[in-house]
Amino acid sequence: MSFNIPIGPQHPALKEPISLRMTIEGEVITDADIRLGYNHRGIEKLAEERNWIQNIYLMERICGICSHSHATCYVQAVERLMEIAPPKRGMYIRYLVSELERIHSHLLWLGVAGHEAGFDSFFMYVWRDREIVMDLLEMVSGNRVHYAINTVGGVRRDLDETQKARILDGIATLRKRSEYYLHIGANEPSFVARIAGVGLLPKEQAVALCAVGPTARASGWDRDVRKEDPYAVYDELEWQVATADTCDVLGRVVVRIKELLESYNMIEQMIKKLPAGDIAVRAPRKAKPGETVSRYEAPRGENIHYIKANGTEKPERLKVRAPTLGNYAATVFMLKKGFVADIPLIFAAIDPCICCAERVVTLVDGRSGASSLVSLSDLRRRALDRPANALVKGKAEWPF
Amino acid sequence: MTDAELIAKLQADLGGRIEIDNPGPRRLFLKIAAPDLVPVVTRLRDAFGVVFLSTISGLDLGATFEIIYHFSTPTQDLNVRTEVPREAPRVASITPLIPGAILYEREIQDMFGIVVEGIPDGRPLLLPDDWPAGQFPLRKDWHYDRPVEVIPGGES
Repeated sequence: MSFNIPIGPQHPALKEPISLRMTIEGEVITDADIRLGYNHRGIEKLAEERNWIQNIYLMERICGICSHSHATCYVQAVERLMEIAPPKRGMYIRYLVSELERIHSHLLWLGVAGHEAGFDSFFMYVWRDREIVMDLLEMVSGNRVHYAINTVGGVRRDLDETQKARILDGIATLRKRSEYYLHIGANEPSFVARIAGVGLLPKEQAVALCAVGPTARASGWDRDVRKEDPYAVYDELEWQVATADTCDVLGRVVVRIKELLESYNMIEQMIKKLPAGDIAVRAPRKAKPGETVSRYEAPRGENIHYIKANGTEKPERLKVRAPTLGNYAATVFMLKKGFVADIPLIFAAIDPCICCAERVVTLVDGRSGASSLVSLSDLRRRALDRPANALVKGKAEWPF
Repeated sequence: MTDAELIAKLQADLGGRIEIDNPGPRRLFLKIAAPDLVPVVTRLRDAFGVVFLSTISGLDLGATFEIIYHFSTPTQDLNVRTEVPREAPRVASITPLIPGAILYEREIQDMFGIVVEGIPDGRPLLLPDDWPAGQFPLRKDWHYDRPVEVIPGGES
């Protein structure tokens, strides 16, 4: 007897509302199907009606968590089309914000992973520490979420000596704590038992399904745009691509914490090497006809923008592919052969957005067709209760 | 492998079928005819290790649609472009070669009305279920007129 469970369309474990239809046999998921478009805002069409400067702010609003990724990927492309080179100091500040954003995104994700695995103290510790980097971002850019620091030709705000010192202080604290989290994430027996072997994605499948970012790297595929297509400042820094070969959620935890440690190194190097000079150059209003492909390693993986200019002040075509779309095909694979109780964990393992509002799952009874609404937190509680209610020794009635 | 070495190898291997443009470091644009798509992608995958597809872009050029397949290897970006006529926009599916292409092929079907032949799962992906047939939003002749907002009681 197989059942169908529709998950979504309003399902905020992913950044966009998405509809997943699960076919289950008992507790095992035998098939998963995906339907997108519930949050399609027509941004590519809209971008054709906006000028080069207006589009920076439009691109920034594609995503709430990695807003800087889209804006940076876009301005990189526009600078190439306009044939202007931003000053070195501006570039360092731009990619400093990139790495700070990666830290906040990975810490956010790490907390969510802890929460979905039923390890809420881990979640609270990590999110407390995330405030350190959020404060640094607010200090540097003036905003906690949409930094709006990019402009075509450089950045809009400079750094002073006090700010540099405060960034180094914050990073030193975060490094000590992240080392401790790496120790917990990879060694705490109950946490490891919950996440090891969940959401398996073997390397050959990661390659075939074109997975990106930490999901691909946790399957032992060492691809990182910052290394293989080193844009801007990344070839001047010393760092390593973090990988793991366990191919499961445990590997994704380890990869992300290792990336945090690499980001701390990069930020310290950028602050020490920060050159003097201007932060931006003046950009023309129009771009010559031409086309370019811009790639950027966002916290979730490769972000790619293709832009074609037609000589006016507006783009002819602007194509955006965000990393999450690249990982959907792999997610469907990971869900198959998994357990219903692992759905929240597998979702959380590719994408960490929880800033959306309510989480609802509709459970449809395959025989009667009756459906009931269950909030995801309730589903999670049921998943956690399942082993507790099982007929094991601890629950058995004492005969005397 | 440097750009020049790769271009020389590609030209030796696929010479008659492709036109190569190299506008910047690590960026290669390969132009091919639409019927050559599957043989060229097969050859790129098997002989050049091009296994990773970033995305597929569609462009409305007026009389034709251009489709760009953005591949990348650890050393280069290969953008394979082809054109199909507007009257009969049909292109072969590369999903049997690269399974990760499925969502991007479904996306260009939705957005440009390009028929991907041989796609294993060609259902609509992005547009709403009640979307009218024959409306393809990213074509240049498609415009959206925002309905006039009616405020009950008129503007104050």
